[in-house]
Amino acid sequence: MSLLKPFSKLPGLNTANILLVENEEQFQQKLADTVVLQEKNVNVNVRLARSLPLPMENEESRPRIDLVVFIIHLTSELSFQSAETSLKYLDPGYFQGKVCFLVTSARNVSVPPERLVSVRKLAASLHCPLLCAEDQTTEGVTTAAHRLLAILKVAAGLVPMATGLYLSTLTRCTVPSDIDQQNFE
Amino acid sequence: MDDSTKRILQRLIRRIPSQMLQTILGKWAHLSREDLHSLDFTQPKWVFTEHLLAHCEENGLTVKHITELEMIYIIENPNQGMWHGFQLLDAEEDAPSIELTQFKEQFKANLTELISHVSIKIKKHTDEAIWIRIAWGDNFTKPNHLKPTYVVHHLQTPYVFVTGLTSKHKPLLNQALVLATRYGSMKDAHLSGRNLTAIRDLLMRQYQQVFPTKHPKPLQEKNPVPRNPNIEKEQAENTENRLQMACEAFGDGTLPQLQKAVYKLETKFRDNSNKTLTGREEPFRGVVEFASTNLLESLRHCVSSGMASTPVTPLLSSITQKGRNYFVITDKGV
Repeated sequence: MSLLKPFSKLPGLNTANILLVENEEQFQQKLADTVVLQEKNVNVNVRLARSLPLPMENEESRPRIDLVVFIIHLTSELSFQSAETSLKYLDPGYFQGKVCFLVTSARNVSVPPERLVSVRKLAASLHCPLLCAEDQTTEGVTTAAHRLLAILKVAAGLVPMATGLYLSTLTRCTVPSDIDQQNFE
Repeated sequence: MDDSTKRILQRLIRRIPSQMLQTILGKWAHLSREDLHSLDFTQPKWVFTEHLLAHCEENGLTVKHITELEMIYIIENPNQGMWHGFQLLDAEEDAPSIELTQFKEQFKANLTELISHVSIKIKKHTDEAIWIRIAWGDNFTKPNHLKPTYVVHHLQTPYVFVTGLTSKHKPLLNQALVLATRYGSMKDAHLSGRNLTAIRDLLMRQYQQVFPTKHPKPLQEKNPVPRNPNIEKEQAENTENRLQMACEAFGDGTLPQLQKAVYKLETKFRDNSNKTLTGREEPFRGVVEFASTNLLESLRHCVSSGMASTPVTPLLSSITQKGRNYFVITDKGV
């Protein structure tokens, strides 16, 4: 099984690499363009993929991936399933602050609420942060890019006194033990 | 002008959208330039119709002239109503050499022989298509101009497109067409849609097709977006393969606009989790219908984005390969 390993390559100087994994391959392009434009001080490289495992042909040319972001569209069950299966191809070292989940359409009324709950449970069990993004407007994309860049810079070690593991203990997703809101006791 | 003629004109003017009214009337030979200028197109339609009726009565226009106007309108806007495709089979020796006047005479003679009260108008359009308008009557009534049938045929091709035909008149039209075009028979091509240009392009393969190549090259994009060197796609080859297969199955660029694909299933039910229905002798009859504003575009997107598995199943690709959108599927095949 070809696992993606976090520390098997040397880091680049003042460089951060982010991998966006999305089954639909739509939001990732917009996000990539915005991320690259927004960051002026650090050299940001974005890799786009549909799912893991990544093809072996790119193994040598691929830089060290600092942050893996799974983009899940809550409107599609397939999106969630594809992200789940891709998780198996990540080395466990990534789950210490180098993985992030990004969901879209969380406010959409037609989305079954169980799906968001299962994504939250997944993120909580892996100790990863869960971000909600709005992908239809430019402001939404810009905000999402901004937040991803903040996490990326920490994960790439470019922020002094902060590491990915430290940040993830603060930002990791939690699932309240009593989700049943009708219970007021 | 009698009442029925007035009604036909009123209905026709109501049907033509206001923006097109001036251009369509300008093409009509029976309205002189001065008359056209004197008509006020900014009036509400019912006032306009009264004025037009007055003009027609002055000039002594009859039903024949009004049906000409209707034909001009339909030729300009053919993409309404439901068009059905037919294919002529068993060409005789002189079928490819039929030319316009011969076809016209033969068709009119045949049809009037079969049914005496019928009104036929044949017109050749600039793009080599022959348009025929038929108003049907029977032995006791005059032709009904409110429900005409339109037929489009390209000479030297075995394809005919028909709209507004009832099943009562279908065998008559079949026979007249078959005799006039010197073919053996005519069968249903199982292709129908609202858009005449679309079904014509599909049947006559006039859309941009992509052929399978041994050395696949990525399809050139029309406006290549300048690629940011910092952004890289990991699985670009997969994406290109999927796009190539989608375009091979459905075509490249703008695709003919089909609205529906209907699959009538006459296969046995096969699902191991449902014991009551599996294992019965009779086929489980069902109908699967795909509907969209532009079906081929949607299917192509499904394949290129990975929603439908590749290689493209022959059930879907036979829509373009065979030029049909109605299929009956039995256990032995399509």
